[in-house]
Amino acid sequence: MIQPQTHLNVADNSGARELMCIRIIGASNRRYAHIGDVIVAVIKDAVPNMPLERSEVVRAVIVRTCKELKRDNGMIIRYDDNAAVVIDQEGNPKGTRVFGAIARELRQFNFTKIVSLAPEVL
Amino acid sequence: MWSSVRQRTLSLSSEIIYQWKSGIHRSFCSSLINANGKVAELLNLQEVEKILRDVRADDVRVIPVVKQSEFASFVVVATGKSQWHVRNIAQALIYKVKQKQTGAKRMLLPSVEGQEGGNWIVIDSGSLIVHALDEKARAYYNLEQLWTSKESTNEHSQDLGQAFVKVRRKNNSKKPAK
Repeated sequence: MIQPQTHLNVADNSGARELMCIRIIGASNRRYAHIGDVIVAVIKDAVPNMPLERSEVVRAVIVRTCKELKRDNGMIIRYDDNAAVVIDQEGNPKGTRVFGAIARELRQFNFTKIVSLAPEVL
Repeated sequence: MWSSVRQRTLSLSSEIIYQWKSGIHRSFCSSLINANGKVAELLNLQEVEKILRDVRADDVRVIPVVKQSEFASFVVVATGKSQWHVRNIAQALIYKVKQKQTGAKRMLLPSVEGQEGGNWIVIDSGSLIVHALDEKARAYYNLEQLWTSKESTNEHSQDLGQAFVKVRRKNNSKKPAK
């Protein structure tokens, strides 16, 4: 359940460290974003000497949420943190590696690129 | 649309893994999918390799990833000379899929990602994932290195699994009765 003003960790090596959601892309009056949704976010904290800087506005895909993700077979997945991967307008990830476990639902939402960069797929 | 394909690959995956363990050659493995599945696989490895040769994709690499990931069995990485070339590689693969299913009531198409950009296009046909990249993107993302180096981490997790195997500890507290 990501809404504007939610802070998220960054799960890639793009250079950003922390994001704040400012808008959910999809419908006009959408309240919450879940795994696989694209958000507009602002970089709150960045690694020095990297292309991305603080207070830059970027797009990101949510890859982990504290809110449970339910599957049809009854499996429930819940992570310890809210995390996102920075992407550009075309959907290419800005970083080259994704960290941590990632749900396979992302593949169904057409983020195969992120899934193929991830070390572990749940 | 995709659920049916995925279901089928899931049911087949155990067989495939079994075959890999017994060390059967990969071409045999993919032909068996065709023989078993009611609907033929969207794309198989030989077709992809042939198409990539025909459209003159550079530096094609086929990486078997059955051991590392359960969601796919092969990853194919190919390089295009320009954005147009990368898009044409993707188009050729989609055309082949369409051609295979001519006359079918419902056409099943692979999910294609990044087609408007042309830097990196992924064609995801269930157990076979084809990445078409331009030279810059290929050097930047370095997919082969990621997928070939993953094997070691997987073996490490196997060791971890062995560590969790229950072993009955010897009880030293009781002294042997004399």
